[in-house]
Amino acid sequence: MVPPVQVSPLIKLGRYSALFLGIAYGAKRYSFLKPREEEERRLAAEAKKKPDEQKRIERELAEAQEDTILK
Amino acid sequence: MAQFVHNLTEEVPALVNAAVIYSKTRLATFWYYTKVELIPPTPAEIPTAIQSLKKIINSAKTSSFKQLTVKEALLNGLVATEVWMWFYVGEIIAKHGIIGYDV
Repeated sequence: MVPPVQVSPLIKLGRYSALFLGIAYGAKRYSFLKPREEEERRLAAEAKKKPDEQKRIERELAEAQEDTILK
Repeated sequence: MAQFVHNLTEEVPALVNAAVIYSKTRLATFWYYTKVELIPPTPAEIPTAIQSLKKIINSAKTSSFKQLTVKEALLNGLVATEVWMWFYVGEIIAKHGIIGYDV
């Protein structure tokens, strides 16, 4: 078996600090993006309400007309 | 049917045993290398690390990095890339997903 390589301390320090920096960055960005996405979803739900309302009105109108035709 | 069950009960322990021994040896080799190569730097090693960093900055200031061979420069580039990739690994761990942040 090949003997294990002695890794230079600078590289070890660099690896672990990059790992922790990455975790910190990811956590910060996630907490920054989370309320924005909820806000966006809320806006999208509200923007959907009007077309849904229109569709409902159209559907009921169509049903009302259909009734008279079938009679 | 009985023969099948009989063979099954005979062979399954042997297979499980083989799997356990295989994974144990692999784990042993993994641990053997990890203990030396992947441990975090001990506080005693940090001055050495800072010395190496000073040497690199010095070589950038005095342009002595131009004395490196292309092969050495490529290897240094690979090592630097690997160190930078650990940043993205940390980010993946923090956002609990591989591609993109979870909505």
